[in-house]
Amino acid sequence: MSEQWVPVEHRFLGLDRRTFRPALIALAVALVLAYGLPALNVAIPWHNEIKAGAVLDLGNGATAVPPVGWQLENGTLTGASPTSLQVDLATGGATIGLRGASFTGSADAFLDQVLRSQGSQGVAAGRGTVTTDGGLVGVAQSSSSPSGDGVQVAFKMSGDVALLVRVRTAPGQFERYQDTVSAMLRSITPGAGR
Amino acid sequence: MTAAVKNAQLVAIEQSGWGQPFRLFQPDNLAFWVYTVGVGGGALAMLRYFGPGADFYRPALTGGVLLFGLYLIPWLLLLRHHNRYTAQPGALLATGFVWGGVAATFWIALPANSALLEIWTKIGGTQFAADWAAGLTAPINEEFGKALGLVLLIGLAPRLVRSAYDGFIIGAFIGLGFQVFEDVLYVYNGAAQSFGVDQIGSSLQIFLIRGAFGIVSHALFSAIFCAGLMWVLGRVPGDRKVLRGLLTMLAAMVFHSAWDSMSGIAGGRVLLSILLPFLIAAVELWTLFSVLRHAARQERVWVRDLLGPEVEAGVVDPALLAAVSGLRRDRKAFRKLVRNRRRARHLVEAAGDLARELALAGGHETHRVAHARAEVVRLRHG
Repeated sequence: MSEQWVPVEHRFLGLDRRTFRPALIALAVALVLAYGLPALNVAIPWHNEIKAGAVLDLGNGATAVPPVGWQLENGTLTGASPTSLQVDLATGGATIGLRGASFTGSADAFLDQVLRSQGSQGVAAGRGTVTTDGGLVGVAQSSSSPSGDGVQVAFKMSGDVALLVRVRTAPGQFERYQDTVSAMLRSITPGAGR
Repeated sequence: MTAAVKNAQLVAIEQSGWGQPFRLFQPDNLAFWVYTVGVGGGALAMLRYFGPGADFYRPALTGGVLLFGLYLIPWLLLLRHHNRYTAQPGALLATGFVWGGVAATFWIALPANSALLEIWTKIGGTQFAADWAAGLTAPINEEFGKALGLVLLIGLAPRLVRSAYDGFIIGAFIGLGFQVFEDVLYVYNGAAQSFGVDQIGSSLQIFLIRGAFGIVSHALFSAIFCAGLMWVLGRVPGDRKVLRGLLTMLAAMVFHSAWDSMSGIAGGRVLLSILLPFLIAAVELWTLFSVLRHAARQERVWVRDLLGPEVEAGVVDPALLAAVSGLRRDRKAFRKLVRNRRRARHLVEAAGDLARELALAGGHETHRVAHARAEVVRLRHG
């Protein structure tokens, strides 16, 4: 009973003031980590601009030429290691993400699987074919929603690997980036053994 | 019975807090509200994370929860075995486990890691980030995030959380919670990265890899880190060892960083990348047992003091006292002396029961104390 009874001189707004020190230290550290670091991250700008001649390493010899001036937020350029099949590029109102995954079926089947995993993604258009300069054939499907426009393109790369290229832009901005995106899609090479 | 021996017993009961009840629900305690906000925030973040894909990724999620749920059982048995001396109540350890799994993982580590990983990428570029960002991120965010659970438990149960060994055991439970919930998160992420192809296969693969490396992962990091934190805080008179505490905390962070920077350290050297996990694991385990031995010192003194009057009265003999208050080697020596493994185990357990009942009774004579004492006598003469 005496353990649970808070003496009057230790009370503050119905709380035991003797418990403030550990609680406030824990709260302060938690807030710095959970909210302070994300705020600091937002305040730091990107300085990882793609320069002319840079080539993305998509692993196993596969490459792509990223648009000059965009920021490389994730992924590695050729000549570096380790290679990554997760690439993120961003500029003002658009992002391009490249994701690789093990997949034994066709590019069309891979796009079906991707769309099933994403659920509803706004209004989708019919599928089209994308052919790269190296002759790699991909399947593309564009979509539009109030949050933005986009296109997803699936390629079957060498081995049992499939590649998804996902382009998202702000609403009504897709046309502005179409040539840049097309150039990058055309630059994709499938890698060794194909 | 000499007054000095009885006094030492009472001091041990007072300092260890053994026998004090633990209640999580303490509305007049600010630590309770911070704990609630943390676990509540973590639960909401968890729902937001898993919610949208829960239906599509159900096979992976179910597989992950089942596999890592089973994985918990041997861990809990192992940690129960080490929850010795002035053992912590199960409710307190469960409170730590939930903090580690829900608050530290989803409220703190998830947003903090994403942000700090991106900060390192912005500062050093994607190549630098691929090699070193994880090793410079997780040890900071995750070790401190988990240790906040121990700080809140000090606020919730100041008399129960006293020694470095308390920090060691509570830290292990917080780390285990973090590890298991993070493992399920990895299973989900693995399935999402492959867009849901072969979900059961990918969850099994992650279970095998994470389960094996889990032996020397978060439970171990946090046990070491939290024991170090308790030395820094020095909550037992004369047991404040700031330098040792800081070095111990740093060691846990270095181990964590080494696991997460494996590719950067190996630098493409195949042999090193094969040997490195075993090398790090060996150093980690050596450090773990060294920390355990040092952290247990205070607890062992308490158990000896608690049973001091019983030794004087001849109920507990010096060999049994050494075993019940000792390390593994002391219990082994006692087994050799008794020449009967089963009987030795029963005697040590019965002496432990007597120490616990004495602590619960505050050093007074009760029916339970008398019964526990009679059990020791029965086993000794049996």
